[in-house]
Amino acid sequence: MKYQMIADTLYFYFYGDFDNLKICNLKQICIDLIENYEPAVVKMDFEEVSFIDSTGIGFVLARYKQLKKMGSELIICNLSRTNQTLFHMSGVFQIIAYERNGVKL
Amino acid sequence: MNEMTMRFLSRLENESFARTSIVAFLMPLNPSVEEVMEIKTMVAEALTNAMIHGYEGKGDGWIDVSVSYDETHTIDITIQDQGCGIENIALAMQPLYTTKQHLERSGMGMTIMSSFADDFHVESSLGNGCIVRLRKQLHEQTENALQ
Repeated sequence: MKYQMIADTLYFYFYGDFDNLKICNLKQICIDLIENYEPAVVKMDFEEVSFIDSTGIGFVLARYKQLKKMGSELIICNLSRTNQTLFHMSGVFQIIAYERNGVKL
Repeated sequence: MNEMTMRFLSRLENESFARTSIVAFLMPLNPSVEEVMEIKTMVAEALTNAMIHGYEGKGDGWIDVSVSYDETHTIDITIQDQGCGIENIALAMQPLYTTKQHLERSGMGMTIMSSFADDFHVESSLGNGCIVRLRKQLHEQTENALQ
């Protein structure tokens, strides 16, 4: 994972498999970055993610809750078609905004 | 027509190994990219359930997987653990239901398996492990696919 803070927005760029093992390693890092930077907006970029499952959806929903408590917003970016299907199925887009493109590293 | 079995410990790193191996075994059927993603995802959900719920995160339980396919390109995948089992399968099937919210589980695993499989069964009871049966019918892709 890579990240950058631009103005009031924290960008996360995820890579490869976004599965149970990967999220175990990433979760605390993301929690700490959000707490430290206190961004108004977090954008999660999934363009380079080749695989995601319900563990990934759980992670996204948990960060949404973390940000909501801070009064901040989460935006998901650049999901593949299959990954979009998964997020749709879970009803994620009813509460979390989605956009294509965004700021690249 | 063809069949394989695998047995491995319930360690998190084995989930990626297993889903990749299963898809590799199915490559002679020439599945589409979308079918590959669906198979990988539903297998990952079943394996994660066995690891996180069945064995409660402990990496010392055995998971048995069998995969077969026939000449009609029907795939059968069975994933079995000897973990704690499921007390109420109907409740576990409910979208967004999870007993492990503190672990940031989404409760969508069963729903995803049900959506991506053409046939989906769970056999389990408390203390008696769990068997997940997934069936998927592949669409014939090209003339290169197995006859």
